[in-house]
Amino acid sequence: MNALQMRTRTKGKTALRLKRAALYVAVAAIVVWTLAPVAWLAISSITPYSELISDRATHWLPRHPTFANFRAMFDLSRETGERFVYAIRNSMIVASSVTIICLVAGTLAAYALARLPVRGKKTLVLSLMSIRMLPTIALVIPFFVIVSYIDYGFMNIGSSFHLFDTKLNLVILYTTFILGFVIWIMRGFFLTIPADLEEAARIDGCTRLQALRHVVLPLCAPGLVATGILSFLLAWDEFLLALIFTRSNNAITLPLFIAELGSQYITAYDQISAAGVMAAIPPVVLALLFQRFIVQGLTSGSVKG
Amino acid sequence: MFLRRPDPNGRKLARWLLAPSVILIATVVLAPLLFAFFLSFQEAEPTVGGINMRFVGIANYVHHFARSDLFWPAVRVTVYFTVVSLAIELVLGIAIALVLNEKFAGRSFVRAIILLPWAVPTVVNARMWEWIFAGSEFGALNGLMKVLHVFPPTYDRVWLGFDVPLAGAPVLGPFLKWMGVTQALNMIILADTWKVTPLVVLLVLAGLQTIPDSLYEAATVDGAGFWRKLRHVTLPLLKPVLLVVLVLRTMELFRVFDIIYIIMQYSIRVLGVLTYEVGMKFLHFGSGAALSFLVALLILGLALIYIRLFYTDEGY
Repeated sequence: MNALQMRTRTKGKTALRLKRAALYVAVAAIVVWTLAPVAWLAISSITPYSELISDRATHWLPRHPTFANFRAMFDLSRETGERFVYAIRNSMIVASSVTIICLVAGTLAAYALARLPVRGKKTLVLSLMSIRMLPTIALVIPFFVIVSYIDYGFMNIGSSFHLFDTKLNLVILYTTFILGFVIWIMRGFFLTIPADLEEAARIDGCTRLQALRHVVLPLCAPGLVATGILSFLLAWDEFLLALIFTRSNNAITLPLFIAELGSQYITAYDQISAAGVMAAIPPVVLALLFQRFIVQGLTSGSVKG
Repeated sequence: MFLRRPDPNGRKLARWLLAPSVILIATVVLAPLLFAFFLSFQEAEPTVGGINMRFVGIANYVHHFARSDLFWPAVRVTVYFTVVSLAIELVLGIAIALVLNEKFAGRSFVRAIILLPWAVPTVVNARMWEWIFAGSEFGALNGLMKVLHVFPPTYDRVWLGFDVPLAGAPVLGPFLKWMGVTQALNMIILADTWKVTPLVVLLVLAGLQTIPDSLYEAATVDGAGFWRKLRHVTLPLLKPVLLVVLVLRTMELFRVFDIIYIIMQYSIRVLGVLTYEVGMKFLHFGSGAALSFLVALLILGLALIYIRLFYTDEGY
């Protein structure tokens, strides 16, 4: 081996090492960028209020870490605690109901649109798609007016039934918004499953619905999981409709509760961090556990379809 | 059950399967949408026990386009928010995806946590960044700046303030001011980008995995460096994924409401906030409906592009 070859070889090695080092610096930066903000929220949640409002440059970690911020959220003797417990319960009820209804109705509709002859199928799929794209803000005003009319009508006939400030109202509105999305994604999944499988099942004497239940749905399990989680996250996250249609503990959801914390005069960052951590746990856990399915769902719904 | 008569094509079954969804969507989306259209030609205000309506033709639309001082500034600030967020998300998303596509120790861990910001609820994200941006000595960003010696120990910046960035610069300063750009808006773009970029990363990563290694090997043999491979191999092959991201994100960004309203209330009036303010705060239902109709039309225009690109008929 002559001297020149030796030199290029060491040079190549140094370049490679530099490249590795740069890669790890980039990875570290990505990890810090991803985790630092939530880490700060988590740290704040176990820091007493008096320490939260001290000079940050010299004071990051709590000297007296405490779960008092969390305990205060469950303190039913206080208004905030009571409201929080109602909010978390309402959010659970609303998001789960919406998820179940959307999965059942959406899967059936998606199957019909993927496999069965439907008159005007293209128009139907396209309008479902457009509805999924429609911004909530475009509908809040008619919603508000219509709900007021309905409630007023019931009041006039002496009924105490009303939609405003109820979980039922939120479930109806959220379901409709999320349904188009569920149909779109599930249709994408159904299209990836070869129709021959169903044909085979039907030759063996299954009806279409039996083939759907015993052949197609098991194969679509990842799709169902992804779609279910996405629906849950969307319902859990919704803010604008809750802002307009809920007031009292009867229907207030977590996003609205957290948005309301503190006021112009008082900062409530102890409460915000504790409640924020708790509100983020369900979606974060779901997303991290089922990440593979979710990515599959999102790509199937958006790339194919 | 409902299939007593033979149904060889499944036409009837299809009708039954579609019925619940179609009925729900027709009553809860289409009917209100038509009603919004009707409302947008009325002057409608709430009164005791109902709503006072008076037909005013296209006056509401004329008001927004020509008379109101708020509509065009709202369009401009929404466009700025959308374009700048989108640019950052795309560049950052592609860069992170390229890094995560390399082989390194701990890759599966990093890929697992990358989705975390996306899963944080919008409201929690808004309030978390509001706390990080706190404009006094206890704000985390101010603390970080002092630790890094970017700021002197006694200086605290009001991150969510209304000063125009680069206000002194010629042309650019007045332009940013005209667009309605403020320090606060830029910080909100940062907060929103943090939450949404993971989605872009994952979509791009999925796209990267479909590019065969042999193409890169061939490019290397031809003597192409990193940038040339990026320009001539990666980006062209990512085009379908990037188009999805582009259209989907534009629609999402254009309708922004939550994060801006939660952090700034009515002081940054993007179209979403302006619509809410006119319709739900001042209760001008007619005028608000006109505004929301305009927003919906803009977004549906984008949706049509998206559908054109990605609707397929496969699987009949």
